[in-house]
Amino acid sequence: MTRGAILFAFNSPKYNYYSMAEYTAKRINHFLDLPVTLVTDKESLPAKSKYKFDEIVTVEPDKNNKRDWGIWINKGRYQAYELSPYHETLLLDVDYMVNSNTLLKTFDFCVDFCCHDTTSFLMHPTAAQEALSVYSYNTLWATVVTFRKTKRAQQIFNCLEMIQKNFTHYANIHNFIAGTYRNDYALTLALRIVNGHTTLPGDIIPWNLIHVGRNTNVYRDNDDPFNTSFTVMFDNWKKGKIRKEYINIKDTDFHVMNKDIFVELIK
Amino acid sequence: MDTKNLISEAKARFNHKAAQDYLREKYKNRFQVATQQGLWFADEQTINFLSLFSTKKMILKDSQGTPIEVERKELLDTLKKLYTDTMKEYYQEWKELEAKR
Repeated sequence: MTRGAILFAFNSPKYNYYSMAEYTAKRINHFLDLPVTLVTDKESLPAKSKYKFDEIVTVEPDKNNKRDWGIWINKGRYQAYELSPYHETLLLDVDYMVNSNTLLKTFDFCVDFCCHDTTSFLMHPTAAQEALSVYSYNTLWATVVTFRKTKRAQQIFNCLEMIQKNFTHYANIHNFIAGTYRNDYALTLALRIVNGHTTLPGDIIPWNLIHVGRNTNVYRDNDDPFNTSFTVMFDNWKKGKIRKEYINIKDTDFHVMNKDIFVELIK
Repeated sequence: MDTKNLISEAKARFNHKAAQDYLREKYKNRFQVATQQGLWFADEQTINFLSLFSTKKMILKDSQGTPIEVERKELLDTLKKLYTDTMKEYYQEWKELEAKR
């Protein structure tokens, strides 16, 4: 039985996702002791790299997706099932900061597939959970997914592919904007469809996905490559003025939503 | 990066409430363990309930609501150890946090 992690990274004109993947892979090796396979395209591969991934799989990416800051190559995540060389796979976003061995626990209880259904924002712990729309489901998160090579997991990824290819149709049904393709939304729908329009408790990671959200910045407390101490600073707007607030965090995994912050962290 | 300087220059204030919330969040997953075909939360209620019985085996719902036949004493010992060890760490960090007031 093999176990490993898989990352998807396609460079865009604005961000070097390959270097983010390399940084995250090193932390996965260090904290989780797992090999890492990278899915990327030929254009993103650097001429020279000191870090050696367990495997590198090159694919032709679908570049037909945009965000406010430019091209966002995030489609094709459904290929994780076929491309993963492992029996048990941890699929992570490259901007997920691994600071502990917490994610190893997901292998202990995952039967076929599991992901987060709730989030907690550092400095905003009571923020409302995101929903596809007012009349639709709460979002599941594609940031961290653990799956095994089972028939049911395959069905979920096949369904993810179907939704990606018909995203506008599902956006119309669930009343969200189809302009930008989101893996989180596609996963929310895929898992529900496969489960008969419900969610199964076993598919849910039983703790919150910790996000670094808006108006929040994160700084390393030291330059150790495997540092796990960070200062989180938040701009609290009160009566038209910003009041800076901070907390210290340690040995805690988190997902950085703002890529610029993640790029700064890995410098 | 010297974050102490950064905090001082930005005149940032330590947000005690957010730090407490973060600690709760951090330890949430550490009280959970997957064993005996189920996922268990090492909390006071589960430990107390397991302690009420003296049978070798019993059927119990795990934290995902699945009924599972468990080796009672074995599960109780696992949860007690996890609770004690994790609570010790949590308490240590909590004390450090309270000292920042």
